[in-house]
Amino acid sequence: MTDRFVHIAHLTKRFGDHTAVRNVSFEVPRGSTLALLGPSGCGKTTILRCLAGLETPDGGTIEIAGTPVFDSVQRIDLMPEKRELGIVFQSYAVWPHMTVAENVAFPLKVRGMGKAERLERASRMLDTVGLKGFEHRSATLVSGGQQQRIALARALVAEPRLVLFDEALSNLDAQLREQMRLELRLLQERLGFTAIYVTHDQAEAFGLADTVVLMNQGAIETMGPAREVFRRPATSFVARFFGLNVLEATLLGRIDGTPYVEVALGERLTMRALAGSGLVASVGDPVLACIRKEHVRVEQEPIPDSHAGTIEAASFLGVAEEYIVMIDEVAIRATRPAAGFTRGDSVHVGMSPDDWIVLQPEETA
Amino acid sequence: MSTGAQGRFLQRALPITGVTIGVLLIAGPFLATVIRSLLVWDGDIAAIEAGNFIRLFSDPRFVSAALNTLIAGACTTVFAWLLGFSLAWLVARTDMPGRSWLETANLVPFFLSPYVGAISWIYLLAPHGGLLPWLARTYLGVSLEWIDIYSMGGVIWVLTLFYTPYVYLFVIGPLRQMDAALEDAARVHGASFWYTLSHITLPLVMPALLSAGLIVFVTSAGLFDVPLALASPRGIRFMPTEIFSMVQYPSDLGRAAAFGIVVLTVTILLTLLQRRFIANRRFDTVTGKGYRPRQIRLRTGGKIAALTLEAIYVGGGVILPLVALLMVSFSKLWTGRFMWRTATTGNFEYVLTKYDLTRTAITNSLILALVGATLGVALAILQSYYLTRGNPKRRALVDALLSLPLGIPGIILGLGFLILAIRTPLYSTLTIILIAYIARFFPFATRTVTAMFLAINPELEQSARSSGASWLQTMRLIVLPLLRPALIAAWLMLFVIFIRELGATILLYAQGTETISVAMVVLSERSSGYVAALAVVQLVMLLAAFAIMRLTRTSMSQG
Repeated sequence: MTDRFVHIAHLTKRFGDHTAVRNVSFEVPRGSTLALLGPSGCGKTTILRCLAGLETPDGGTIEIAGTPVFDSVQRIDLMPEKRELGIVFQSYAVWPHMTVAENVAFPLKVRGMGKAERLERASRMLDTVGLKGFEHRSATLVSGGQQQRIALARALVAEPRLVLFDEALSNLDAQLREQMRLELRLLQERLGFTAIYVTHDQAEAFGLADTVVLMNQGAIETMGPAREVFRRPATSFVARFFGLNVLEATLLGRIDGTPYVEVALGERLTMRALAGSGLVASVGDPVLACIRKEHVRVEQEPIPDSHAGTIEAASFLGVAEEYIVMIDEVAIRATRPAAGFTRGDSVHVGMSPDDWIVLQPEETA
Repeated sequence: MSTGAQGRFLQRALPITGVTIGVLLIAGPFLATVIRSLLVWDGDIAAIEAGNFIRLFSDPRFVSAALNTLIAGACTTVFAWLLGFSLAWLVARTDMPGRSWLETANLVPFFLSPYVGAISWIYLLAPHGGLLPWLARTYLGVSLEWIDIYSMGGVIWVLTLFYTPYVYLFVIGPLRQMDAALEDAARVHGASFWYTLSHITLPLVMPALLSAGLIVFVTSAGLFDVPLALASPRGIRFMPTEIFSMVQYPSDLGRAAAFGIVVLTVTILLTLLQRRFIANRRFDTVTGKGYRPRQIRLRTGGKIAALTLEAIYVGGGVILPLVALLMVSFSKLWTGRFMWRTATTGNFEYVLTKYDLTRTAITNSLILALVGATLGVALAILQSYYLTRGNPKRRALVDALLSLPLGIPGIILGLGFLILAIRTPLYSTLTIILIAYIARFFPFATRTVTAMFLAINPELEQSARSSGASWLQTMRLIVLPLLRPALIAAWLMLFVIFIRELGATILLYAQGTETISVAMVVLSERSSGYVAALAVVQLVMLLAAFAIMRLTRTSMSQG
């Protein structure tokens, strides 16, 4: 029973002609965390809102802690307030007409808890999120980061079985976001609630979640343990989403199961590469070869097995520097510690055969 | 003077002139009323003393008028709150059938004349000869004779119909733009639909409700039209009708002025109170980060309830009065029922071609509305320029000062101008009526234009100046074209207000300067057919302005 604390099956949601969520199924074990990751408009927020009862799906089932809260066949659709959840919105949704303590104590108030007890528990929760002594402040007179903590305290105060986060960290500035991410992870481990995060930021997804579900146009593109999803991109969409170079290539053959491909780089470049799961191409078929920006070496001096290229664009990022290097007609992106190359510089580009990942090309159906 | 210096002079002088005219238009009648209220004449010698106030306060008629006015204002405010909020919520948040059409229909009473509304309800509900009691008796076998429209209840009913759109306009924007996460958070954290509505939604629109409530209270209590039609015939005293009768022969301007000062004091105190209260609770519910509320699906029972409420409001505020008005205007003699056999266009022929009073009145109303709206908008442009581009330190004070007439009852401003003009050549001219109109209503135009001015990035003007345009050229080629939607809206709004104005006109008109509304009051003693025909003529003008306003409406926000 510890498995599938949250169970979503064949969830579908349409807005008019647009299908926002297409036959989505996944499970979340009790006490674990899951991130719904994807570009804007991929349907991840819609799934969260269906879970909370704020949207009515067109099909599928949602089960929380063994209780169905939505079932299109049996016509079950629990009201949001009956699902006993906590939620943190991107806009925080801190009520401006209440004090900080009233905001946090609200879930307890509507559950009928006495004033003294609920204020005492709100106080304790505020202490937990680092807002001790803020009880009587007006909720609008605190900073964005503090509003975020108020929203978090409010979501946790009634000890809900499941807490939903809708782009909860997106409105914070970069430094505060990193700090909140760590704090949130610690808090989750300490209090042991099950959490679902919706985010478009991969660092946030990997930092917060045990399991990552990557969405694309309403459907699940890939799903699995955070490290796996990142290390072995399952599809070219995943590779592009994580910022890998994706190049056209041809499968030359397999040796001991490891595919060899030829990447089209003007002068034919042949290399050994790891196949992604589900590579079914036969010899001579087109495939896609992907390589991370960090794995592309850009040097002034020739290095073994390197190719001559020209810097097309350089952008200085502080510690690192990102380049677009042209090798003949092909643009390759590379990240390396700042080296000060500028546009037009001749460089040597090295890509280790072991760093390539080979994927099935996009379906053209 | 070089052209550069000349331009700079104009840029400073023109807006300040606009503000100065506005201040004079307010200060003139105000000071005249204050001084007159303190003057007591003894033969030819005037003395400054408190006699007028003493006589006023010791008069039982004053007490009953004040009390009735407060009761009617308070009840109207409460009913307009309930109705305005409910209708706005239904239109903005639910899937009520026909809501795109009803969204406009709910606003129509805003553009109609309350005096015409009141007399239409007399045709509908008069104890003898009302249309509805006759229908109820004939077709339903129910007696409605116990309902008397000439009563406090009748006044409140008609006032509610006309002031509901104020609340509606104030709250529909916040209801539409509110971050839906504020409500969704309450639902997810355990609050029911009704709990969320009463503990989250309602408090969040409270600032808008309070602003609307103050305006409804102050303006409905100060409205002359409805008590004149529905309360005076039974001798029920109201503040505006009481001031009117104090000015009639044998006139007691001193006591009327004292009454005016009492009303002004209450109005200004309430406005200050509201400003302070709103300043303390400025809720930023409109954030770019949030998302729009989703539509609430009504069940069948909910839909029936919603449409019933709409039927009561649109039926009572627009359709029934319109039907009654048309019936009466085409009847030779109104007996409480329409008879096709005796239907006639004679009333229209009479008021449009044969009768001098009504012909003059129509011409006068059109002149006042056309000239007044144009002058009012011109004034509004200059004032808005000052309020958005002028001296930042003085803007708030000037804004507060220029908004004062918003709450001042028309009859009291009319009284002020009467006192000012009584021994001057302006007395009994159209000009003094025109000045009073602009003085009472220019803040409406200034508000509309200022809202648009705020939306225009000053960089648009600065880049025109950098490109070599003078200040006047920049105004003509950049600012005025960008302001155009607001200028049209403000002009039409003033046109509508001036066509139907009664409270200020009733004290300032003389023979030859009657307006349509005044002519209706004068004729109401004689023939309901003529009054109804004239009301239809006025209605056509008002509805035309309303139609143009809906057609030319741009992205500009309402209110």
